[in-house]
Amino acid sequence: MSQSGATVSQECITAYNDLKLNKKYKFIIYKLSDDYKEIVVEEASDSKDWEAFREKLINATSKSRSGAVGKGPRYAVYDFEYSLASGDGLRYAVTQKNYIPVVLAPVTDRLCSNKLTFLAWSPDDAGVQPKMIYASSKDALKRSLTGIATELQANDPDDIEYDSIIKTVSKGLAG
Amino acid sequence: MAQQPLSSAAQPTDIYGGDEVSALVLDPGYCNTRAGWAGEDVPKSILPSFYGHSTATPTQNFFGDERLIPRADFEIRNYMNKDSVVEDWDVAPKIWEHMLINRLQPDKQTPPSKNGLNDDPKEKTQDGEGDVAMEETENQEIEKLLQENPLLVTEAPWNTPKAREKTTEVIMETWGCPAFWLSRTPVLSAFAAGKATALVIDVGGANTSVAAIHDGMVLKRSIQKSPIGGLWLSSQIRSLWETSEPKVTLTPTYMVENKTPVDALAPVQARLRQFPYQIHSSFRAYEEERVLTEFKESVVEVWNKPGRLNSPGNEEFAKTLPGRVFEMPDGWNQMWREQRFKLTEGLFDETAGYPLPEEERVAKNQTIPALIRAALEAVDVDLRGNLLANVVVTGSTTLINGFNDRLQNELAAMYPGMKIKIHAAGLTSERRFGAWIGGSILASLGTFHQMWISRKEYEENGPGIVEKRCK
Repeated sequence: MSQSGATVSQECITAYNDLKLNKKYKFIIYKLSDDYKEIVVEEASDSKDWEAFREKLINATSKSRSGAVGKGPRYAVYDFEYSLASGDGLRYAVTQKNYIPVVLAPVTDRLCSNKLTFLAWSPDDAGVQPKMIYASSKDALKRSLTGIATELQANDPDDIEYDSIIKTVSKGLAG
Repeated sequence: MAQQPLSSAAQPTDIYGGDEVSALVLDPGYCNTRAGWAGEDVPKSILPSFYGHSTATPTQNFFGDERLIPRADFEIRNYMNKDSVVEDWDVAPKIWEHMLINRLQPDKQTPPSKNGLNDDPKEKTQDGEGDVAMEETENQEIEKLLQENPLLVTEAPWNTPKAREKTTEVIMETWGCPAFWLSRTPVLSAFAAGKATALVIDVGGANTSVAAIHDGMVLKRSIQKSPIGGLWLSSQIRSLWETSEPKVTLTPTYMVENKTPVDALAPVQARLRQFPYQIHSSFRAYEEERVLTEFKESVVEVWNKPGRLNSPGNEEFAKTLPGRVFEMPDGWNQMWREQRFKLTEGLFDETAGYPLPEEERVAKNQTIPALIRAALEAVDVDLRGNLLANVVVTGSTTLINGFNDRLQNELAAMYPGMKIKIHAAGLTSERRFGAWIGGSILASLGTFHQMWISRKEYEENGPGIVEKRCK
């Protein structure tokens, strides 16, 4: 359980498994339900358009206690796929913290790698209340998603530019 | 609350579904203690952790700024030690009760027959047994007054297990609260900034601390602290005033009866108040601190241009920057220029600043950059990048002009090529009360119901439960 007491709905895990094992989606955006009790899936999509994904995060909203709608934090899982800059056929065995190897989907190019990335999006100009709730509920979601390779915390639109993110995700190996 | 959660059909449907409205949040610090209702934006009651103690018989304690006035046989004490750990367990609960009950729930005040104001003081001194009896009824009242309020208390990450147990006992035994929780201040500050992973730099009154938070947990080995904070800065200002030419005399406000405006650097024309009794040195020190605080708020700045203040050319440049005039309570006024920057330089550079007595001098490993380096070196190398990209700055002393820019410069120089991002709340209140606000939101969440340590759980496990649950 998270430190806020918020729980993770089953659909979060189902959608994640569809993404991880069946490659049904490219990304999933999670949010806290309107009563802030449970983490639910806001959108799962197979769209490969990073900019569209980024826009969705930037335009996300949350309601504060007074009912005012402002910018809102989100969680997301994105299945990054990238080719490696060094061409010696280096493949990544993506492992999770407790060393269960993640099965990678077959990739067409031998010099490709992919990584399941967990993104905690919390814009600095969101209200302190939603920020607090999302930050204190995060570990519940992250812990129920097994096989996440990288985790990122992003706080302004610059942080989620594709180029800067892929550099972090690939540890500078993407070409 | 102690009752079972309502079934989902019966729950109120407003936003945040069935929020906790009766929870209280208490955030004790060395300079101030903050208390208020969970769910509110700022703490309703902010009291100095300093209190007045009358040494005349019967001894008496005075809480609240407005009661700290010149009196005979009157000392100023603090219930905390300089590490922000509660030291005086007789007084701490009294101050907290004063805040949680008298200040926050005035409608629930004790009836006049019992509030002690109408007691005959003679009777009290003569009849020792009567005193005990009165205290007992008082305790029962308190128990009644707080037994509907779950209480979240914040603590420094280095709080001792003994102090934690003691806090628990006060909450559960003395006050009879239905449930409680202890939270570490840097975790709350990080959460309030929207981060579960962060490097929290807290420059407060009595000390400065740096702690790495990962997934909402304090990494114990990373915790660094040093006494450079607001009070240390006060000693810098004292040193500046003592060494400046002509020497500046610090006359606190309470001593000045009237004053005539004078030109800058002109002799003071003021009449001082005379007291028919001895003013204790601790009272004077406390009053002096008020003047020093005002000076910090209006004059002091941090050098935020490239390099350090003692880098070649910078000091000359600082002299050309516009100065600020400060008027002392007795009318003495003077323009301060490059001194404004030199005062804070010691936060970053142990060789800079004004001379201090041996025991207050900053060691090489106590400056803010040194604390950050030590904190980062204590954590896994893979985490460091993430932490540097998520630096959270909190604490009142960070509100000094230029602090964040300077911190950014220092970090960029220490970790070239790394992405460094500092997050500091724009609202003054969020920076001053970061931990309290975090606790307020957390304790007000409907879902936090399941997190509170309930009375039942406490009774089954004893005070040791807090070590198990509040990590």
